[in-house]
Amino acid sequence: MRNVVRMELIKLRSVRSTWWLAIAAVLSMAAVGAGVGLGYRSHTPVATAAQILDNSLGGAIVAQLLLGALGVLTVTGEYGMGMIRSTFAAVPRRGIVLAAKVAVCGGAALAVGLAASFAGYLGGQLAIRGTAIPAAALGDPAILRAVVLTGAYLGATTLIGVGIGAIVRHSGGAIGTLFGLMFVPMIVAGLFGESGIAVGRFVPLLMLLNSVAVTSPVPGLFAGWICVLLMCGYAAVAVLCGGVLLRRRDA
Amino acid sequence: MVPGFWPPPALPSVDRVIELRELTKRYGDQLAVDALSVQVRPGVVTGFLGPNGSGKSTTMRMILGLDAPDRGEALINGVRYRDLRRPLTVVGALLDAGAFHPGRSGRAHLAALAASNGIPGSRVEQVLRIVGLSEAAARRAGTYSLGMRQRLGVAVALLGDPGVLLLDEPVNGLDPEGIRWIRELLRGLAAEGRTVFVSSHLIAEMALTADRLVVIGRGRLLAETTVAELAAGAESLEDAFFRLTSEVTDYRGVGAS
Repeated sequence: MRNVVRMELIKLRSVRSTWWLAIAAVLSMAAVGAGVGLGYRSHTPVATAAQILDNSLGGAIVAQLLLGALGVLTVTGEYGMGMIRSTFAAVPRRGIVLAAKVAVCGGAALAVGLAASFAGYLGGQLAIRGTAIPAAALGDPAILRAVVLTGAYLGATTLIGVGIGAIVRHSGGAIGTLFGLMFVPMIVAGLFGESGIAVGRFVPLLMLLNSVAVTSPVPGLFAGWICVLLMCGYAAVAVLCGGVLLRRRDA
Repeated sequence: MVPGFWPPPALPSVDRVIELRELTKRYGDQLAVDALSVQVRPGVVTGFLGPNGSGKSTTMRMILGLDAPDRGEALINGVRYRDLRRPLTVVGALLDAGAFHPGRSGRAHLAALAASNGIPGSRVEQVLRIVGLSEAAARRAGTYSLGMRQRLGVAVALLGDPGVLLLDEPVNGLDPEGIRWIRELLRGLAAEGRTVFVSSHLIAEMALTADRLVVIGRGRLLAETTVAELAAGAESLEDAFFRLTSEVTDYRGVGAS
């Protein structure tokens, strides 16, 4: 297993898309954070620390797509030109290959997710410096919780991407499926109005915007850490399905 | 050894041997490989010959555990490929040109595969030198010419210094110099006592490279022979090959006059 993890680490590092997606995830969150801060600075100089934080983590909507795509590509990138056959010839036990991908890609995505989340927080804080708006301190448990959980949510999204990649095996199709799964349930839940929350609290994007990346969850939704556990549960289901298919199908 | 007592010479060694037993693969209602039983021995180059679509690549993939046979099995040194602990050190395979990530450098491609089997990084530089890719090793493999891709594939096959080599159409896309290079490489590897199994649809090339021939058509074994034997009863080796495979091609052109 250690050797296989080393293989996956070399693979992840040695393609440019990994770096582009990671940098883009951090920059997008930093940019949204700074944009939100600047907006408040020039138009609404009266705001609470929580308002600034909640909005400045909004870049996670973009970051989750970028890091989800990163997860997808760690698997589907091997199918484009048959790399997967080299991989499985080197390591015939396919479950181990997938487990190593989950460990390496998940670990990297968690680190990048936390960095991105912190960048969003920092962008917002720097942009409101010197105004009357109170600063949000990371020492405040509610603030720290939102920043850390957002990072963890992003890591879990990447693993959902890994699972979908193993199921679909085609980059375009898998990324499309992932994006669909992120947005379509939210739209559907919205059709049911107020009662939609019974379903909506299980929907990734709604969990992110109303519970994970905010200082106090909207009533009716699960607490942030439960939402992140749910995301990990979705990731586990996707990865297990992908693993079963990977072992059954010809490479 | 006891004086005057010699081990019986006829016992096949299980070392460095590829053995196919009734290997069968079906795609829908099409039989791609049909109860193929073959033994490939060490010390010689064995050509795996057949028209396009005769099941050569499918057979190769089943030997490597990439495709699951519907029936039968493929054994290497008596065990199935997927039961090998560090497969690259036992079997080296050149898969159909490609089998890499176009965005990754040749060196990183080899380093990743080496790591998976605990092969030291110094071996990566060695095989890069052997195949002549040292200069291009830092470039993304997607920018390689077809010939360079084949060389990268050969480098992967040699990575673990394996006793068994499996090469699927290695001369595809190579220029004459490259073809000669691969021919001499394969003959050298066989002379060292390794098992070398090379697929091709080019009878003329196989005549120069291989000693033994396994000929298939529509997934069935047509002949297990030597180049000399096959050429014997016919005007040319090519004629002999066409006669052998004439019943089993799915396509045929007619004269253009």
